[in-house]
Amino acid sequence: MIDWQYSESIESSDILSIKKKYSNYIGGKFVEPKSKKYINSISPSTEEVLSKVPLSNKQDINSAVNSAREGLEVWSKLTPNQRSRYLFKIARLIQERSREFAVLESLDGGKPIRESRDFDLPQVAANFFYFAGWADKLDLSWATKSLKPYGVVGQIIPWNFPLLMLAWKIAPALATGNTVVLKPAETTPLTALLFAEICEQAGLPSGVVNIVTGDGSTGSLIVNHKDINKIAFTGSTQVGKLIQKSLAGRDVGLTLELGGKAANIVYEDAAIDQAVEGVVNGIFFNQGHVCCAGSRLLLQESIHDQFVKKLEKRMQSLRVGNPLDKNTDIGAINSKEQLDKITSLVNEGVEDGGELFQTQCELPGNGFWFRPTLFTNVQPSYSIAREEIFGPVLTTLTFRTPEEAVEIANNTEYGLSAGVWTEKGSKILWTADRLEAGVVWANTFNKFDPSSPFGGYKESGFGREGGRHGLLSYLKASS
Amino acid sequence: MGNIKTSDVSIEWSSVLEMVHESRIDSVGLNERVSSLATRSIKKDSKLEALNMIVSMCDLTTLEGEDTEGKISQMVAKAIKPNPLDNSVPSVAAVCVYPSLVGIAKEKVQNSNVKVAAVSSYFPSGQVPMESKLLDTKYAIDSGADEIDIVINRKAFLEGDYRKVYDEIVALKEVCQDVHLKTILEVGDLKTYENIRKASLISLAAGSDFIKTSTGKLSVGSSRQACYVMLKSVLDFESETGIKAGIKVAGGIRDAKDAIRYLVMINEEMGSDWLNPELFRFGASSLLDDVLKQIKKLKTGAYQAGYYFPRG
Amino acid sequence: MIDIKKTYKNYVDGKYVRSESGKTYTKELKNEFYELPLTSKKDIRDAVTSSKDGFMKWSSTTPYLRMQILYRLSEMIEGNKESYVELLMDHGLTKQKAIKDIDESIQNIVWFAGLADKWEQMAGNLNPVSEEYFNISHQNPIGVVFSLSGSNISLNDLLMSILPSITVGCSVISYSEENSVLALKFAEDINNSDFPSGSLNILSGKFENVLDDVSKHVEINLVALHKELDNDGLKAIEQNASESVKRVISQPSLEGLSSILPYLETKTVWHPKGT
Repeated sequence: MIDWQYSESIESSDILSIKKKYSNYIGGKFVEPKSKKYINSISPSTEEVLSKVPLSNKQDINSAVNSAREGLEVWSKLTPNQRSRYLFKIARLIQERSREFAVLESLDGGKPIRESRDFDLPQVAANFFYFAGWADKLDLSWATKSLKPYGVVGQIIPWNFPLLMLAWKIAPALATGNTVVLKPAETTPLTALLFAEICEQAGLPSGVVNIVTGDGSTGSLIVNHKDINKIAFTGSTQVGKLIQKSLAGRDVGLTLELGGKAANIVYEDAAIDQAVEGVVNGIFFNQGHVCCAGSRLLLQESIHDQFVKKLEKRMQSLRVGNPLDKNTDIGAINSKEQLDKITSLVNEGVEDGGELFQTQCELPGNGFWFRPTLFTNVQPSYSIAREEIFGPVLTTLTFRTPEEAVEIANNTEYGLSAGVWTEKGSKILWTADRLEAGVVWANTFNKFDPSSPFGGYKESGFGREGGRHGLLSYLKASS
Repeated sequence: MGNIKTSDVSIEWSSVLEMVHESRIDSVGLNERVSSLATRSIKKDSKLEALNMIVSMCDLTTLEGEDTEGKISQMVAKAIKPNPLDNSVPSVAAVCVYPSLVGIAKEKVQNSNVKVAAVSSYFPSGQVPMESKLLDTKYAIDSGADEIDIVINRKAFLEGDYRKVYDEIVALKEVCQDVHLKTILEVGDLKTYENIRKASLISLAAGSDFIKTSTGKLSVGSSRQACYVMLKSVLDFESETGIKAGIKVAGGIRDAKDAIRYLVMINEEMGSDWLNPELFRFGASSLLDDVLKQIKKLKTGAYQAGYYFPRG
Repeated sequence: MIDIKKTYKNYVDGKYVRSESGKTYTKELKNEFYELPLTSKKDIRDAVTSSKDGFMKWSSTTPYLRMQILYRLSEMIEGNKESYVELLMDHGLTKQKAIKDIDESIQNIVWFAGLADKWEQMAGNLNPVSEEYFNISHQNPIGVVFSLSGSNISLNDLLMSILPSITVGCSVISYSEENSVLALKFAEDINNSDFPSGSLNILSGKFENVLDDVSKHVEINLVALHKELDNDGLKAIEQNASESVKRVISQPSLEGLSSILPYLETKTVWHPKGT
């Protein structure tokens, strides 16, 4: 019998040179912050400081918004075909430098290189390619004549898919003729700043894309800036509500892509082995730092025991560790703060009476880590069944009939995504129709494509990103 | 078929039917899982062990009309000592021949650990009356075969007569008794994953000790996807009955890299219990040579030419 | 002082109801004097309860039936054209303007009736994703819509504050201030039509009395303001709305397909294609 070990197959980071200090990208130039203040960006897998980035203040935001306003003058005078070609060029440059981006994404954010390399980066390029083609076909996109760009768009993005969220924001905004001020998340600013180099390389007119870094206070300065025409935000429901409130009474467009607590419904007539894989992918993809994660597993009572047994066995084969190791399935939790939040919710789940299962894998010493976790014997009232945990923690509930499954699935303020597993076609359509969710994955989970609209019902936000529908988030229907 | 005595190992038809009816597989999801398993890479130290393990799991095979005593002697010699210059390379698990050559093979393996397997039941088509299949099998066993590789009745299977498929295997297992029975599904004929799963469960329930992907006589041989379906069936069968059955993959596994991917999949999905020639085999002719090359390459650091290794 | 000739009630859940508060206010037109219900907070809650139920019924009728019910409404207004013209003239419109308003109203109902079984083909589509999946985006009506009608005395304007959302299957609570007499007369046609109870509730009163309740009520999914509010009013509504991420639209576009888009939630469904 051999001691079967996978090699540490480390993606080399030689390809990359991380600067000691970064500047904002405003008006086509890298400019030091007027605030003179910086924040550290650390690697969550080692806690090592990777670099420091500006903590932008009001003056910095002013100059970014002013530059976007000037950029709009140039951008709006280009032909749609010219705008299209800039986006194509950006897409191509990203493809060319994708290894560099993938390594940086895994270093700065903690996600496994397998995901940043095989998922994030290909999707980033695909988004720019997809929206590039729309830029000169807006007149064909919707059967209505009243759609116009907003103007200057402020975009605030989260830390779970740093560069992909940038692509989801910038590609459609530029394709529809807007210019942007984008703020990456406090803990994952580096790939956005590397993207600024792509803008330079592509010769994008100055001011069309402006990237400013900082924390929540910086985001709030963008939201409250009087010369912003639209805000696009992806992040927590809590912050989304604050933004909506800040914009009250102002003629500023808003789209919100917020939290979720997706139900992943497994009927007894599902293809069980694929359902197990889908459930694993649904919650453990990207450490569970996914707003549409399938965090509530809804099992039909008749298959509960069999399913849980298979699931636990499958979870044992998940490898937690160095994000740059190609064999790693689950990387580092993005920050200390997030790790504390996950830990405290899991403790609460145990106190409430949930039955805890965690895999036995070894965890690295430094950095922020959390074992893949499954709760069974959970009541719908427990906080682990209601609150978004945003970590590798799955909660199991049971149901008896399709009606009950739908009722439990919809019994939440969120409505971002849901999963349905059954080999019976009519049951899929029946269930999908009744789920209050913007994305329904049937016999699959966590699939994304630039052509496929994404966004929520209810308190998961409004507006869609991706697809033809995603264009509407950046076009204003004028009365 | 009439009068078949149900042996101890075979499972009641009613429960077989129940399992067969629950064969639900989503092919897209399955393909995605199998390709994600292919991205695992193993350590260099483990790699050498893995390659030696592959050798020990090989059923070195020749199944040709042109097979002669001389050919069998060559192959058995290679089976016992795959690399005469390196004693750390183990013997293969078995040699696999037609029934008429079992006697010769048996004579040549002598005291080694190498077993003699015979393909019977009118391999590869199986298109003869049951009486002939029984006779074919009985002949191989009487000639000393340690293991019997049979083919399922694909005609009956594709016509939906699952009962007939099951009954035939039960009858052949009766003939085999303690002789290891490997049942070939011929996945290339079955086409869909659900068919592969149904055939796996029927074969296991009928008392097969192993289920095997292919005869090697079709252009479509084994695939990791088919193997995945089979291993899931074996695991589900184990959880129903407590019986651990083996898997043999054959046909189309040309190189060491591919074989390692199979082992990674077995390890991830079934665990190390199945990393064992008693429960996992490769049906191979050209695979062995590549594995031997890779072993030498690992030891010497140099890429190898085929002529360093004896013909099989 | 002229005698009170007409007393109107709110139209909720398919019935004419007084305000639970018992309060009314009066509106004097050229020839008549109306007593109108002053909708209270409790009335709003009742209307929402009815609208939730009405939404279930209305959104589950077939597009083909919704089309016919809307078309039937146009026939009824056509049949009552004279009385509408008279009422508009009583509000001070010239006969010519009044006739034009009713003609436009009928045109628009017919336009939306014909849209009821087509908008899904214009707003939804298959998405060409790169893997082996079937992927389709289609729309669901957003749910219960509260619509504050504009201050113009116009049946057409009133209808345009209702038609886009009701056509796609939303239930609507239509609230009028200046337009109340017209709206509550219109309720009579709704009552005689085949709209399921609760699918369209019609209320009258002073919006400022209920602004807070409307904008905070979590079961109202969208607030549509067809009337220009002062900035404080709009701000208060949007602030309250943010507590439940409620959609608020102000002076929305009424042009073609744009008119219905705010009332739709896009749902995208994925399914593998395999054997």
